[in-house]
Amino acid sequence: MTRLASILQSLMIPVLAVLLSFIIGGGLIYLSGADPFLALNGLFMGAFGDLDAFSRTLEKATPLVFNGLALTLAFKAGLFNIGVQGQFLFGAIISAAVGCYVSGLPVPVHMAVAVFSGIVAGAVYGMIQGALKAYRGAHEVITGIMLNYVAINITDYWTKGPFMDTANSNSIPRTPLILESCQIPDIWGIPSGFLIAVLVSVVLWLFLKKTVTGFEIKTMGQGIHAARYAGIKINGMMIFIMGLSGGLAGIGGAVETMGVTHRFQPGFNLGLGFEGITIALLSRIHPVGVLPAALLLGGMKAGAGMMQFSSDIPTEIIDMMMAMILLFVAADKLMTRVLPVLKKKEKGLALSAGWGSK
Amino acid sequence: MMIKNALVMMAGFWSAMLWTVTACAFSVGLVTDVGVIDDKSFNQSVWEGVQAAGLNLKAKTKYIETRDAKDYSSNISLFAKNGYDVIVTVGFGLGEATRNAAAKYPEIKFIGVDQFQVSAMKNIAGLIFHEDQAGFQAGTLAALVTKSNIIASVFATDMIPPIVAFKNGFEKGARYINKDIRIISSYHPGGLDVAFTDPEWGASTARQAILQGADVIFGAGGLTGNGALVETASHKGRYCIGVDADQWLTVHSARPCLVSCALKKITPAVSGLVVMAFENRFPAGNYYGEVGLSSFHEFDKDIPEDIRKKLSVIEKELKEGRIRITE
Repeated sequence: MTRLASILQSLMIPVLAVLLSFIIGGGLIYLSGADPFLALNGLFMGAFGDLDAFSRTLEKATPLVFNGLALTLAFKAGLFNIGVQGQFLFGAIISAAVGCYVSGLPVPVHMAVAVFSGIVAGAVYGMIQGALKAYRGAHEVITGIMLNYVAINITDYWTKGPFMDTANSNSIPRTPLILESCQIPDIWGIPSGFLIAVLVSVVLWLFLKKTVTGFEIKTMGQGIHAARYAGIKINGMMIFIMGLSGGLAGIGGAVETMGVTHRFQPGFNLGLGFEGITIALLSRIHPVGVLPAALLLGGMKAGAGMMQFSSDIPTEIIDMMMAMILLFVAADKLMTRVLPVLKKKEKGLALSAGWGSK
Repeated sequence: MMIKNALVMMAGFWSAMLWTVTACAFSVGLVTDVGVIDDKSFNQSVWEGVQAAGLNLKAKTKYIETRDAKDYSSNISLFAKNGYDVIVTVGFGLGEATRNAAAKYPEIKFIGVDQFQVSAMKNIAGLIFHEDQAGFQAGTLAALVTKSNIIASVFATDMIPPIVAFKNGFEKGARYINKDIRIISSYHPGGLDVAFTDPEWGASTARQAILQGADVIFGAGGLTGNGALVETASHKGRYCIGVDADQWLTVHSARPCLVSCALKKITPAVSGLVVMAFENRFPAGNYYGEVGLSSFHEFDKDIPEDIRKKLSVIEKELKEGRIRITE
């Protein structure tokens, strides 16, 4: 098969999954008594209708890119980093703390320090999961889910306690606004956080493709025993990969805080980690594929309000459509059964290693 | 080329649509907090108020449900950009976004439900309620009907001042009747993301309180509070007290225990404010809506005359400021 054909081939499942879920979504809208074309037009205009809408789509897509990349990297090594949500939260809150409590630094230094501390926060949190798996054999899905709760509750406590914004007798639990020297600006209306996201995804792609470590990561994903036999130090690599994955989620949190929310507030960043799973699967576990996947979901999130405004459709329909996309890309066997054209040509995706394997 | 044509057509169609919206006479938009419009409590009461006013004034009404706390501003500006005359924002969390929008669109009138205005802006009315007074009345009722002298309350979160006020009022009211009453109060320990949407926690907390002998349960806080009510309904001979709206009408499975509800009379207050906006006598700053207890519904015959009398005296004294509730 030529290279182009193989790229087209790998696009088949995600594109069909999206089309199928839009068709089913449209059907549901029709059944609920509204005009699906009006609704989808509203969704489209709310996501890409003008510069303002497009800018919001990019804003929504940016954290999804980082979380999608974090999961993609882990998937490449056969690890399912479901703890991305927690790593993202730590990245977001630590960069917010640096953004509002560290002052007197020149703009670029302040920004760099804030992003870097977000990365470190996410990476350290991810490494806990990696270490638990490497040395105690605890499955990263279980520890990830539990560490997510730990992160939610610690960040809640911090925003109510030591980091709470007390200006103007505020009583909402949240951090103060970060200083201006730490806010990532928009360039011509385009949130520059998205440009960082594009850059990181390309770097990650090259890293996986061109470096020895990248090759080792992919070898681990092919089969952990073979990788060990080939001389890869599995335990160290697991911690390193989970740290790197957590670091990617951490940049996501930092960029979200510095570019969009300008403070940390519980409830701002929920669900972003789990949407990262959808993004990674929709991209067929490809760092550059993450970008269009994130734009699609970001657009759906940005356009939801306009859709409801123009057609009175409840925004839950968007959640259902996202869930269906996830279902169809995850259950690619189902897709090949429904559409026999895809049979044989499409290789199944190997995601994480089985339960209990180390 | 075809795609471009289709886009142009879509844009044309869209602007035609908008034009028909803006050409309409008076229009009222509503933006919810993260949550659904038919929540059987807060959002729903506000929306009913908007609809009532809309019917009355032949105005166009529309709502947007916020899905992400980061979208408050963009949802408000969807209405603002499309020339709506009044925008109602529901919930404490939208306070800041509402004030920013009010500064940006001085010709639009904003009604911020549950949004205390520290300083008045001439195009915002912050609709607030004396939750402590509503809670106080619920607390006196609870203390008057309890047989075990143990009552309980299940609250969504201590991060939202109105909920804290409910709790404070409830406890003060109960102690006003009986100084030695035992009150088991619990706040949901989670963050704002789950505090209002955790009926299982509400139910298990109510169950624990009942096991400790509580026979009146006050449940306040969205679905979490409703969970406590519904759980109490499954225990014979216990009372529960609902919150915000008359939940006898909305939470049917709580009816076996629902003796009354601590009402914030949201619907009439919202429709009143919309009408005032229409008639150009919009009250800027804070606007207090009425509070009180709902009727006793199925327990009407169980509440003796002397309790009713006591409750109405207390309601009157609260209104006149003769009973003051300290923080």
